[in-house]
Amino acid sequence: MLIEMYGVTKIYPGGQVALKDINLKISKGEFVFIVGPSGAGKSTLIKLIFREEVPTRGQIFFAGKNISRLKRREVPYLRRRIGIVFQDFRLLPEKTVYENVAFAMEVVEASYKDIKRKVPQTLERVGLLHKANARPSELSGGEQQRVALARALVNNPDILVADEPTGNLDPDTSWDIMNYLDDINKRGTTIIVATHARELVDSMKKRVIQLEKGSLVRDEERGVYGK
Amino acid sequence: MKLRTIRYFFKEAFVNLFRNGWMSLASIGAVASALIIFGSFLMISINFDYIAKNVESQVEITAYVEDSVDKLRLNQIELGIKSIDGVKEVVFVSKEKALEEFKKQVGEELLEGIENPLPNSFRIKVETPQEVAGVAERIQKIDGIEEVKYGKGVVEKLFKITYWMRLVGLAVMAIFAAISVFIISNTIRITVFSRRREISIMKYIGATDWFVRWPFLLEGMILGFSGSLIAIALLAAGYSYLYNMVKLNVPMIPLLRLEEFYDYSLGLLLMGTFLGAFGSGFSVRRFLRV
Repeated sequence: MLIEMYGVTKIYPGGQVALKDINLKISKGEFVFIVGPSGAGKSTLIKLIFREEVPTRGQIFFAGKNISRLKRREVPYLRRRIGIVFQDFRLLPEKTVYENVAFAMEVVEASYKDIKRKVPQTLERVGLLHKANARPSELSGGEQQRVALARALVNNPDILVADEPTGNLDPDTSWDIMNYLDDINKRGTTIIVATHARELVDSMKKRVIQLEKGSLVRDEERGVYGK
Repeated sequence: MKLRTIRYFFKEAFVNLFRNGWMSLASIGAVASALIIFGSFLMISINFDYIAKNVESQVEITAYVEDSVDKLRLNQIELGIKSIDGVKEVVFVSKEKALEEFKKQVGEELLEGIENPLPNSFRIKVETPQEVAGVAERIQKIDGIEEVKYGKGVVEKLFKITYWMRLVGLAVMAIFAAISVFIISNTIRITVFSRRREISIMKYIGATDWFVRWPFLLEGMILGFSGSLIAIALLAAGYSYLYNMVKLNVPMIPLLRLEEFYDYSLGLLLMGTFLGAFGSGFSVRRFLRV
């Protein structure tokens, strides 16, 4: 079991209840959609996984380790096992595509040799090796998100977590990104995607977890987005 | 830590320094001026201390012995003085020796044929100048001592002045240290703020706090270091000029030699660098909470 949540409740300072008594398990190799309207708690759930937030109540296990009790200095080592993708890409504008991806390896103090080997290989995987020397501003939105995918993948994470990865993209490009995610999943990386994209979810036929006002209302294998 | 990582830290630090070139210059200037003012005060108070110590070490007690006291009693008195706590050295000055010294001062001819009017006396040095008054008082109580003299009043005043000098010096040091930290931390804050996006991305990727912190810490240290180098250069130039002027015009004032100033300059350098590190550490902390 890669991720286990037991009775997880998150109440933000100020009293806003973001998640209520969530119980769920995600195994290695799964592809999971988290759906629900804005404010349902999707982002909070994602943030709990990579420990940007800690649960108010309940326990979260990552690969058998209780991460709700993680010490501050242990958090970076959890995050090295998780690739994170955001709606707004979060690339560094003054760095080239290659440098943006290499940056992720520099940060975890990878060797120069590994960086030189891994970065082109990962860019190839997202079909962007030919744009290695371009800056993010010269790329389309879809291409930028693929750079972000490469950056999230380059350190071989156990899991890739994406919060609205297609939120800023047109439908065709969104499809493209989903296909890359599916491909990444088929090669063994667990994937969790929080999304609004109804059509994509419906046609991908993956496990769907639906949140409604902070509660888990549906957890379905090969599910659809719902009403 | 890998060499490659250290190189990365320095590269980032210098990139930051040059990216905010004007701010960097401004803060180096600010650190330099703070340290110059601070250093000037340091040099003034060190020199004042030095002068004071010099005068202090010259303060000694003279105890005059009654003429009626015989040789045996003189020995007893000497032992008595020696047994007082805080007494470092006792020198007996006989009537004859006193006269000889006196003659040297005023001229032989003047005293020709006169009977020696000077009493036997002891010259006493004490361990610490602060004890002079107490020791003098106890000597006075010894039988056979006619009169005890020391720079009464002068010594006390001197101590009061050096005491306040030290206190004010410390206060001014503290104020300027705080100002330096403030200026540096503001400069670093601008760098950190302009790179907050990068910092948050680094944190999401799994960078440790120290990995994020080091470049900024180095940036602050380089700012503090450069500022203190400038301050030291200007202070050294200023001090050597003043030193030569004082030596030329009022040679009797004892001043700290230039070489000794360099010992303090190393301290200034360390302090500037430390202030830089401290100031930047202050700014980065807030942005690490991701």
